[in-house]
Amino acid sequence: MTSTGPEDYGLADTLDALRRAEACMETPPHVEAAVLAAWDREHAHRTASRPRTLWRDAAAVAAAITIAIGLAQLGQQLRRATQRAPERYQDSRTLLLVGEPILQGEPVRMVRMRVPAATLTGLGVRPVTGTPGEHVDVDVIVGEDGVARAIRVGR
Amino acid sequence: MRDATRATDGDLADSDLMRRTAAGDREAFTTIYQRHHAMVYRFARLMTGSSSAAEDIVQEVFLVLMRDAGRYDPARAALPSYLYGVARHQTRRRLARDRQFVAFDGGCCDAAQYVTEDDVTTTLERRQVLQRLRRAILSLPRKYREVIVLCDLQDVSYNDAAAALGCAVGTIRSRLHRARTLLAQKMGGAVSSEGDHQRMSMRCAV
Repeated sequence: MTSTGPEDYGLADTLDALRRAEACMETPPHVEAAVLAAWDREHAHRTASRPRTLWRDAAAVAAAITIAIGLAQLGQQLRRATQRAPERYQDSRTLLLVGEPILQGEPVRMVRMRVPAATLTGLGVRPVTGTPGEHVDVDVIVGEDGVARAIRVGR
Repeated sequence: MRDATRATDGDLADSDLMRRTAAGDREAFTTIYQRHHAMVYRFARLMTGSSSAAEDIVQEVFLVLMRDAGRYDPARAALPSYLYGVARHQTRRRLARDRQFVAFDGGCCDAAQYVTEDDVTTTLERRQVLQRLRRAILSLPRKYREVIVLCDLQDVSYNDAAAALGCAVGTIRSRLHRARTLLAQKMGGAVSSEGDHQRMSMRCAV
């Protein structure tokens, strides 16, 4: 019979015994189930996110087109207004009429925007501040139908 | 019954399976898991002294593998070395989080299961020796514990251990020698003769 006390055990033997003891240790099955569930979640998410991305892209393109058309129309209105009443914006604090006139008693909303002076130039309005990169506060008067009636350019 | 795909998968190299995993092949990923989960689990268990921590680490390792399969380069390291590297990182994180080692919580297998011919007293003594050894391993500094676990308890070659730990083969040798000496001291001078070192070195030779 082999002696078994710790004093008689060599490190190599003891390590070997531990190695054999550990060799039969197996990962519990629920770990595999959890890992594969994570795989399924990850790949389901990837599959599901593809159409969502397409939808987002389509929405972004539509929004960009709408904005472009809106800006083009606003530019045309501004240009028309500029041609109609150039004297009105010689004063830099002027109210520019850009669409149908505001009817008496018509409910309007005013939206204040801060835009680069260069943007105003692009829309046909002479810059009211020093440099094109400078930002300008603009009040847009919007009629009940959502169409801009006037733009007031401040300093 | 094994279908043709499964039979083919069984023969595929790890690098092929990793490529297929990166392409979203669930079966390839499952095959990799089934091939390598046990070694990751044992490594983590021996490093942390906790079965539940080891289970968490196995999950983390294979989640990393699932997400980064495309970045695996078989030219740099064999998959087991790569997995040991990831497991080592996850183990460090776990230990840093837990701040202290938890008590070894036993498991399905202890000395009693492979000692069949001895009497109860002998079995208990052997079990105690193994528990002492486990505790001694857990009390080693991490760099020494890693080499003991890899080379002496997982039969990883010096080359693969060096790849997994990101150091030179010579470093593995010197750390292992030091680790065995420390371990022998912690075991109360029960062991560690020059003959022991030679025997163990032969088993782990490159």
